[in-house]
Amino acid sequence: MLNEPVVEQYFAFLSNVVKGDLGISYNYRQPVLEVVWEYFSFTFVFSILSIFIQILFSFSIALFVSRRKNNLLNKGISNLSLFVYSIPSFVLGVFLIYLFSVVLNVFPISGLKSLDHDQFSFIGKNLDKFWHLILPLITLSAAGTAMFYKYIKEGMDEVLHQTYILNLTASGLREKDILKKHVIPNAVSPLISVAGIELGVLLGGALITEVIFSLPGMGRLTVDSIFSRDYPLIIGCVLTAGIVMILANFLADIIKIKFDKRLLKGLLN
Amino acid sequence: MNRKFKILHWLLFLWIVLLLLRHDVLLQYFVLWFGYAKLVFTDISAGFDVLSLKLIDVILSVKLFIVLPLLYFVFRKKWTYLQSKLSFSYALLLLLIWILIFAPIVTNENPEFSKNLSVTKLQPPFSSIKFVNLMGKKSEALKEKERFIQQLNNTIKPPFNEQIIFIDSIVISESIISYQKGQITELQKEELLVKDGKPVIENKFFLLGTDEYGRDNFARLIYGTRISLFVGFGAVIISFFIGIILGFIAGYKGGIFDTALNRFAELFLSFPVIYLIILILALFGSSLFSVIIVLGISGWMTLFKIVRGEVVSLKQKDFFITAELIGLKKSQLLKKEILPVILAPVVVNLLFLFSNVILAEAALSYLGLGTGNLYPSWGAMINSGQEYIYKAWWMIVFPGTALVSTLFAVNSSGKRISKLINPRLEE
Repeated sequence: MLNEPVVEQYFAFLSNVVKGDLGISYNYRQPVLEVVWEYFSFTFVFSILSIFIQILFSFSIALFVSRRKNNLLNKGISNLSLFVYSIPSFVLGVFLIYLFSVVLNVFPISGLKSLDHDQFSFIGKNLDKFWHLILPLITLSAAGTAMFYKYIKEGMDEVLHQTYILNLTASGLREKDILKKHVIPNAVSPLISVAGIELGVLLGGALITEVIFSLPGMGRLTVDSIFSRDYPLIIGCVLTAGIVMILANFLADIIKIKFDKRLLKGLLN
Repeated sequence: MNRKFKILHWLLFLWIVLLLLRHDVLLQYFVLWFGYAKLVFTDISAGFDVLSLKLIDVILSVKLFIVLPLLYFVFRKKWTYLQSKLSFSYALLLLLIWILIFAPIVTNENPEFSKNLSVTKLQPPFSSIKFVNLMGKKSEALKEKERFIQQLNNTIKPPFNEQIIFIDSIVISESIISYQKGQITELQKEELLVKDGKPVIENKFFLLGTDEYGRDNFARLIYGTRISLFVGFGAVIISFFIGIILGFIAGYKGGIFDTALNRFAELFLSFPVIYLIILILALFGSSLFSVIIVLGISGWMTLFKIVRGEVVSLKQKDFFITAELIGLKKSQLLKKEILPVILAPVVVNLLFLFSNVILAEAALSYLGLGTGNLYPSWGAMINSGQEYIYKAWWMIVFPGTALVSTLFAVNSSGKRISKLINPRLEE
């Protein structure tokens, strides 16, 4: 293999990738796909939970702020969201560790399992893992929540100033119904595309958060493989990150079409 | 006359505060400056021998500190933006730039200074540690150059000082015994600097405590500001040039250039850039300049997209076609016709890029890939603080707060400027 030209080697590599053979990791002495799969399963759960939290919180806060037409509250929350967005994840993570693990001693400081993890029942094991994931989830979700909030709020403000909303209000519809049926579906489209990108990034590995809390995720796997020059594993990780990025964006596009049927028409034409 | 708090007032306030709190340091630097001028006039080669970055830094900052008010009176008419209203974010941003420029005046400690670890390490904020002075070598009839070097070492603190010993306590009987965390040393009376038969004991004050090597946290924080902002400016300038030039080429030429450059930008965008940065830094080693260059190269995509979009639409406008027909060169077209039009969105984009770069630099330093141990960096400080999280909260709280407030200031200034440009956004 190695004495063949680079181009031929590259095509051999490509055909191997299609067959699902990414080579053998130098460090783990295992097929790359197995190693990546092991770490990816954690990252998958972690990022799905995180994106769920981000959308849930940002959405409910935006709804709350839109319902009360309080200018001071609006301004305060939008400044707060900018502030939260400005906190780097490692600063937030270290601060949270200091506050909750060192001073208050509520949450564990790092890792995914307690020392006596093996003695728990099935439910106990999962609860234990979830208990370890609370601080990382807050760390990972804070900045994203602030960013989503900004997008939702901007979208809603834009829709709320449209004349058809005025018309609906004048027709005497309840404000709740207007928000639910007319404002949100129209305001949500930028959010979905941003959420797609965010999900793709998260699935590629939340590097800093994983490093702070020493969690077994894709981000740390990638960086460890870079530091140990484990080239097959680097290629495997980067390939996975690229694929999930494309898949997440694809998913976002499909959801967007669900909200706005005109997009599909444009696509078909 | 409307009474509002202007940018000018804030700068004046900072100037006066620095003057009041640091008049002793300023005076020392002044003397050093005149000493250096004297040395250069008497012996020019010796002047070049003692020249170092640190010395230039000190002389420039003290010069600027004096010249700044004079400059204001000269350019009072031109600098109209000094009259604009001050907001919290501008105040923070100006404070940071102030610290960036006048770092040697804000603190005259060396950020790398460490001595007698057992006594000085991990001291809490507002702690002061006693030290005794050792007698220096008897100096007789020094030459001009040597005298200046001595003065230099007294004013600009070197990272190591043989002349002082930090102690916990001292007992003076027939012999002098010092205690350093259980370690007992007998000091010779002849070695010590003695006054009235007693050794001179002074206190060194650590405003924000010390780190695990007994280095002054405050000095490291101040010089960390410099590194962060320096990396930020450098990377943003690189991104600016790459983004503007590639965007102009893609938008102006169109065709194959446009497609290729667009795909290239999307290639960068479709992948978390931090891994690419880590890969490059891990393979080629990380230093201050490699960090700046890599961060600069990895941040041009959004700017490229903005510039390309604007150029494509500006290309059709009459003024642009006229300028083209007059026969302006491509660079002149870019400089005179395009840049003034797109300056506003570009500035906003650059501000957000700036905060991203500062964040990325801190994250890289946190991972141990940043500017290395050569320079104090906020990310590296937080990283070492995490190891001592049970003992030393001040090692993470202060750099963390500094980083958050920097990013907040930059982000909210960006938001403010984008509101100024697009008033429609603000209802």
